[in-house]
Amino acid sequence: MEQQDRIMDGDLQTLGLQSILKMLALSGKTGKLFVSSGSETLSISLRKGQIVGLHEEGVSQPDMLGMLCLLNKLDPPRAQHIRDYARGDMQMSLALLVERGWMSAGEMQHRLEFLVTQATSHALRWVNGRFAFHRQVIPMESKMQPLDVDSVLLEALRQADEWEEIASEGLTNLSRTTVARWLPEVSKDVRSLGLSQEYIEVLCLSNGELTLQAVALALMAPEARIARIMARLLELNLIEVVDTALETELQQDLSNIIIRCQHILAQQRQSKNPEQVLLGLITTLSACINGLLVHHGTYARNLRGRGHIPSMEIVRYLERRFAPQLQTLSQQQFSILETTSFSYGQLDCNDILTLNKVVKGEQLEEFYWEAVQGLVAFLRIIFTELLRDEVGNSHTGRQLNVAWKIFLSEIDHEVQQYQVYRAHRNTQQSRGRENIQPSSINIVQNRQNPSDQHGDFWSPETRRRSI
Amino acid sequence: MAEPTVLVVDDSPTVRKIVQMTLQREHIKVITVGDGLSALTSVADEMPALILLDIQLPRMDGYQICQIIRKHLQFRQIPIIMLSGKDGLFDKMRGRLAGSTEYLTKPFDSVELVHTVKKHLANWQERMPAQPENTRHRLRYRG
Repeated sequence: MEQQDRIMDGDLQTLGLQSILKMLALSGKTGKLFVSSGSETLSISLRKGQIVGLHEEGVSQPDMLGMLCLLNKLDPPRAQHIRDYARGDMQMSLALLVERGWMSAGEMQHRLEFLVTQATSHALRWVNGRFAFHRQVIPMESKMQPLDVDSVLLEALRQADEWEEIASEGLTNLSRTTVARWLPEVSKDVRSLGLSQEYIEVLCLSNGELTLQAVALALMAPEARIARIMARLLELNLIEVVDTALETELQQDLSNIIIRCQHILAQQRQSKNPEQVLLGLITTLSACINGLLVHHGTYARNLRGRGHIPSMEIVRYLERRFAPQLQTLSQQQFSILETTSFSYGQLDCNDILTLNKVVKGEQLEEFYWEAVQGLVAFLRIIFTELLRDEVGNSHTGRQLNVAWKIFLSEIDHEVQQYQVYRAHRNTQQSRGRENIQPSSINIVQNRQNPSDQHGDFWSPETRRRSI
Repeated sequence: MAEPTVLVVDDSPTVRKIVQMTLQREHIKVITVGDGLSALTSVADEMPALILLDIQLPRMDGYQICQIIRKHLQFRQIPIIMLSGKDGLFDKMRGRLAGSTEYLTKPFDSVELVHTVKKHLANWQERMPAQPENTRHRLRYRG
């Protein structure tokens, strides 16, 4: 931008945003006003003294389409269709919705107006900062009808006053960047709580992803009003404030565990005989279970915010939480799990892994197979419990759940391959008893032919993925 | 080009999902494919700013894909980070010879992954040539 195009600049302490905007409106200026404070920058496009556009730097654009879906105002397939075209541009998304007849032109204008008012209201509260007006920056074409500066200022000041009111009352320490989510313990129908429609809508949008600002934008309600509602929902223990830093750390740790276990699984795929494959699965599953236990010992909700916790307390917590489930599994379905035990907060599978010293042949394979099934069941229990406790039904929780299910499907694929092998073997054994020639199915022949003991147990596809 | 796109090529759906999740959290656009031929199609269609490439893939391995991309004038500047479970010197050297920019060993750490990706995306706009009108099918495998 050329220096000579900047016809006005200065300090917000000397001249406030309200005065600047009024001055530009009165003189019917065309250009762009940049206002910045700290890392935030607001640019307001003016044409003949009227607001025709606004952009907030340093604030990620909320997913308006996703929010409309959460509010049941748009179908997810339609949202996806618009998303594909708009590529994250909110104005474009709204224009496309109007074009397709899925939103009225009036609502689009109302939403764009609200966006301008909301951002202006926020900037009006800046005490320190700079401003600059550039006359030659021609405002881009906007979908919004030009707005009168006075009416925008009036509403923006009203909204800013509401924030001040909240702060002076000491009602809440929530900010526009606060992210809230439903508490995992809440499972009852929220309609039974006697909340008003506005409260229910805020509750619906508290998904652990949307900021307070985005919720206000979706509902077209002042941010201060949303902050009051969120404060009440917090009191009712329906939502909690998300610690985004902790959540990022938690997601990274769980991602690393899944990647490590996938790597172990891939390495185990190189095994060629069923016993080795089962042993490999047991190794993978126990490593995964123990990885999750270590993770939960760090991030469990009950252990958070308590400073340094003695390791024995963590161990006791983990055993108290998961030992009963292990016991139930071993008593009701998989008795082989009786040989496992908790040792310092870790599942000790050593007895299963060294079973080949006491049992051989088919019996050993049977034991291994039972152990695999039992450990898969236990792993599912641990992950479900862990996710519910740590992140609940939040955006991060759902993302991790999808990743987890994909990893479990890789394990299931291995298990299914073994099941196919077992089915063929059993068929052949029964045929053998009836003096029928062995089946021509390769997978069974490999196991039957002693000279082919080093033949491949898994399909080439599976073995290829092992590297 | 509004934002850089990272192409993830790995036959494991778990790895694809985890990498996608990790990078999307950093607001990086990600597309994923599970085999070599789809990878080449995606390179031509999407013109990614960076490729995360597994070595052992169905139909065509990572070394071959890397070599094809490096031979192509339009795409040779794209950084390619090889992802592999093999961490031997020979494997790394083979990756380098095929034209990879960097080599990440599995199991990788998500912080390390983000750091590496961001490092190579830092100057992507300067590096990328303007996308031609029709780049589809320009990459051909004659193996």
